[in-house]
Amino acid sequence: MISNPTPTTLILLLLGVSTFIFILLLPALLELKRPRDAGPRIIMEDAIITQRFQARGIAPITSIEEEKLWLDHTVAKKIADIIAVLPNLET
Amino acid sequence: MAYLIRHYVFTITVLKNARRRKNAVKAVNTTHQLGVSILIPARNEEKVIGRILQRMTELSYPKDKLQIIIIDDASTDNTGKIAEQYSKICSYIKIVHRSEKEGGRGKASALNAGFKHAKGEIILCFDADYYPQKDTLEKLVEVFADQKVGAVQGRVTVLNEPQNMITRLVALERTGGYSVDQQARDNLGLITQFGGTVGGFRRELLESLGGWDESILAEDTDLTFRVYLAGYRVRYVNDAECYEEAVESWRAYWKQRYRWAKGHMQVFLKHWLKVLKSTNLTFKQRIDGLLLLTVYFMPVLVLLSWIVGVPLFFLGPPFWSSIVWAFVPISLYSFVGNFAPFFEVGVGAYLDGRTRAQWLIPLLILTFLYNIPICTKAFADLLMTKISGKNNNNWEKTAHSGNGNCYIMS
Repeated sequence: MISNPTPTTLILLLLGVSTFIFILLLPALLELKRPRDAGPRIIMEDAIITQRFQARGIAPITSIEEEKLWLDHTVAKKIADIIAVLPNLET
Repeated sequence: MAYLIRHYVFTITVLKNARRRKNAVKAVNTTHQLGVSILIPARNEEKVIGRILQRMTELSYPKDKLQIIIIDDASTDNTGKIAEQYSKICSYIKIVHRSEKEGGRGKASALNAGFKHAKGEIILCFDADYYPQKDTLEKLVEVFADQKVGAVQGRVTVLNEPQNMITRLVALERTGGYSVDQQARDNLGLITQFGGTVGGFRRELLESLGGWDESILAEDTDLTFRVYLAGYRVRYVNDAECYEEAVESWRAYWKQRYRWAKGHMQVFLKHWLKVLKSTNLTFKQRIDGLLLLTVYFMPVLVLLSWIVGVPLFFLGPPFWSSIVWAFVPISLYSFVGNFAPFFEVGVGAYLDGRTRAQWLIPLLILTFLYNIPICTKAFADLLMTKISGKNNNNWEKTAHSGNGNCYIMS
């Protein structure tokens, strides 16, 4: 309890409050200066399309470059062409 | 105190349900696909209209059940021309051109004009600066399988978030407002709010309600209450996400929030008594409805309490003798009371896995302080309108820069 405030007490109080506000805002100022947040939030895409594939037992091919799920028909066709020219080992 | 309790109840409810939601893989029922008309009002939106139209063509919803109506609201730029190009290629895209005489009267007026041409059983609305997920419609329409559902609302995510401090703060507000506040209201069966975009209505209901009220600036909140008063409910679908372009300057923030504040106050005057008397609302819905309607009066009350409190503080008993004791309740209230909305935002960011974005939460004090003059001006203007009897509802449109385009992966 401060019964008789002196100038020193007031200065200390002011400094204390200023330091408290500075510490409170420091993380925000750091984040503003050097943003590390990866925003904007990436919204989930094509959940239903993926579900439809899964329901039919088709596993969508993952494109590593684009990091999203899609059925790559061109790759599937190339694989089919390669298999077609391979010798049939059963005969 | 009521808002304090409300914020904490909302946050705890969402936290409790979050784990369950995270573990559950939600399968969307694609069998319940009704005819959908999407209304997109656009006034001088040449920087963003192409983006949403392109997205509309990419939606996974069956095109034979889809109708897209662009309301070119007396644009003086190339909005109409860009929309016409899409309309030529896609038969399900229709353009409604409004002349200078008809247009420019606000969003509600434009939506009513578009609604006249809508054929779908479900009417959805998107703003021109929005960019939905490809399967947003399936998720939104699914809830209409329940006949008691009259309207639906999806989640809004800020696209141009990294632009500057304001967009980052708006993004935080949105996170708390949707993934916590709206989600909790939906979970608790309270008043889930239709936000005017990324959502819509059952056509018959909208017709019976007479469409959008053009005399109200917050036409979305007005419709929310009319839906509830008619005995239906609004559902919130957190998984149906859509990008929006947030305001990028304090001036634009002022214009937008002023419109929201004044509009909310208009809705309060229009509906508060009906909400209290309604037999279609439960007791907790009535309480939540009143709290929702009065939320923009709170900053005005804060200002009033400051004006009254500061002189009392200095003119009252010598404060040095009791300064330590005064700090205890003030600190306690500040940590658990005033910061409740900040806590809500923090939990929203946590649920999104945005731990670094949480670092900006203390800066939300800026928007909190900025809302005080905004809401006070809105309140004063509304009072003047009531006294003078002149309706000076000038729709201050939010300008869109298209800056968010660069964040969308092609």
